Amino acid sequence: MTAPALELCGVVKRYGRLTALDGLDLTVPRGALFGLVGSNGAGKTTAMALSVGLLHGHAGSVNLFGEGPFDPMRHAGRVTLLPQDARLPLHARVGELLGWYAALQGLPPHEAACAVEEALEWVHLADRRLAPVRTLSHGMMRRVTIAQAFLGHPELVLLDEPMSGLDPREAARVRRILRRRRAAQTVVISSHDLRELETLCDTAAFVERGRRVRQDSMEALTCRGRTLVYHIGGPAPLAELRVACPEVGWLSSPDGGRLTAQFAPDGPAAESVNARALQVLLRAGTGVLEIRRGASLESEYLAATRDSAAAGEGGSAELETPPLRAI
Amino acid sequence: MRGFFQSSGIVARQEWADAFRSRRAIVLLVLYFAGALAATLIFIKVLHHVENQVESAVGISQSRQAGASTSALWRSHSFRQVLIGLAGDEALARDLLSLPPLALFYGWLSFAFTPLLVILLSSARIAEEVWSGSVRFALFRVPRGSWVFGKLTGQAAQLLVALLASGAAAWIMGWWRLAGFDPVANALVILLFALKAWVYAFAWLGVAMAVSQLLTSPTLASVFGLVALMALAAISGLAAAFTGPGWRAALDLVRMLTPGGHEADLWRLDTAHAVPAVLFLLALGLAYTAVGYARFGRRDL
Repeated sequence: MTAPALELCGVVKRYGRLTALDGLDLTVPRGALFGLVGSNGAGKTTAMALSVGLLHGHAGSVNLFGEGPFDPMRHAGRVTLLPQDARLPLHARVGELLGWYAALQGLPPHEAACAVEEALEWVHLADRRLAPVRTLSHGMMRRVTIAQAFLGHPELVLLDEPMSGLDPREAARVRRILRRRRAAQTVVISSHDLRELETLCDTAAFVERGRRVRQDSMEALTCRGRTLVYHIGGPAPLAELRVACPEVGWLSSPDGGRLTAQFAPDGPAAESVNARALQVLLRAGTGVLEIRRGASLESEYLAATRDSAAAGEGGSAELETPPLRAI
Repeated sequence: MRGFFQSSGIVARQEWADAFRSRRAIVLLVLYFAGALAATLIFIKVLHHVENQVESAVGISQSRQAGASTSALWRSHSFRQVLIGLAGDEALARDLLSLPPLALFYGWLSFAFTPLLVILLSSARIAEEVWSGSVRFALFRVPRGSWVFGKLTGQAAQLLVALLASGAAAWIMGWWRLAGFDPVANALVILLFALKAWVYAFAWLGVAMAVSQLLTSPTLASVFGLVALMALAAISGLAAAFTGPGWRAALDLVRMLTPGGHEADLWRLDTAHAVPAVLFLLALGLAYTAVGYARFGRRDL
């Protein structure tokens, strides 16, 4: 069996009296686009920096590719990181700086030059190769930091808030690049944009207060294979729905604007349920505003971390999505 | 797998390139070149003034260019005897008297001021990269030890070029303003002193790198660098003053652990004194760097 790309077992990290990681367990399968979700201070950045040896843990173990903890001699060029708040050297020229990073991670000069060209093409900065870093805008600098993380096709790429500071066009471009790298590389993305992670990642973990709350495939986290959510503009014809889809459980939000169909994963196909439900809703004149497969990652995250949030905020956790009530 | 020194070489090259891009190297070269040029000019003017006063006192016509009387004086037997008596160490005095006066001045200048410049310019080098976070782009690509050693060698290379530039400045000024200036003899001795000053400064560079690795704030690192310079100079001076028989002989050992403890040996021309001093100072530079690395290798970045 192939060892995971990254495995953290019971990792503890303290900053003085503050515990940043409190026995964090994390398993990132090879080839995954892995989302790391958590509130500010949950430990995402610490976990990433610790994985590449920039931080030292107090307990637990980090295992890369089943070869033990990070060792720059062994893992240089195979594991890269996009740090969140680090500043690039401002006086260096973009191409020269990336060339230096490529050389540092062991690429021969010719390969390093090719890798730099390729990375700059990806992030739309080929024309800025000779520009000093200090002359770039914030977004452009961010793109250079993204480029450095992909130099030489590393096996594991850790991206801490990669889209922050990018304009919508560049963010979409980076998303496309990441999707294309699926299976070829293992990419861990930490982000607060859960919609983005939901569309991008195939696996995700919720981290709160230095611990993993939940980790699963995106399919399982969002119940895509067994949930349909309808945003409706009128009263739901519940009796008709129960008759048309007897194997489906129906849940409605208190305001009646959201209708959720839940069915067993080995039961009817989502397409079949949707076809029957839509007929009923349209026949009854209920306005259907939106249909989506599964719950949002955001609602699942909020639900999964409700207890942690309540503990952290004195029990005043507020959910963005109102709770569902069974019909 | 790439080796330790190969990685260090890549870091040193980048340190060199970055110094030029950021104009740090230009500042360093201008500082050393212009500083040596100005100091040598002042030395020659003072020398000329003193020569003129002596010439007036003995009733001979005043020379129009500095250096003529000094050259004659330097060769006089009685003057040499007076200097040997004043120096207290006959061998050292004879060594110094065999050198051109301008080269001696350059030696004094570089030994006196290079440590201060090294501390001022290098103490914050690593700290500022940790402070800005740029170190986090590099240290998952290269072992920390290689990175620090690369920084040290990159800085040492810049220092060597700066000292050679300052030597060239002193030589140019002497060639232009001194009478009876022997260009070859002066060039050789100035080159020798530039290399010795580099070795001496390498030990201080080790101090600067140690401080830079221990602290995160560049400002604090610069301040602590100066504190370390003063503390080591004081330790060396006090140890030299209070050494003696019995337990006080241990003070000699303390002095050996400071760069100042080896400065006098670098003035000697015989290899029996100079070579051990050179080796000791190089080892001290590496040892001080290693002291800083003992913390830097384990710290969070």
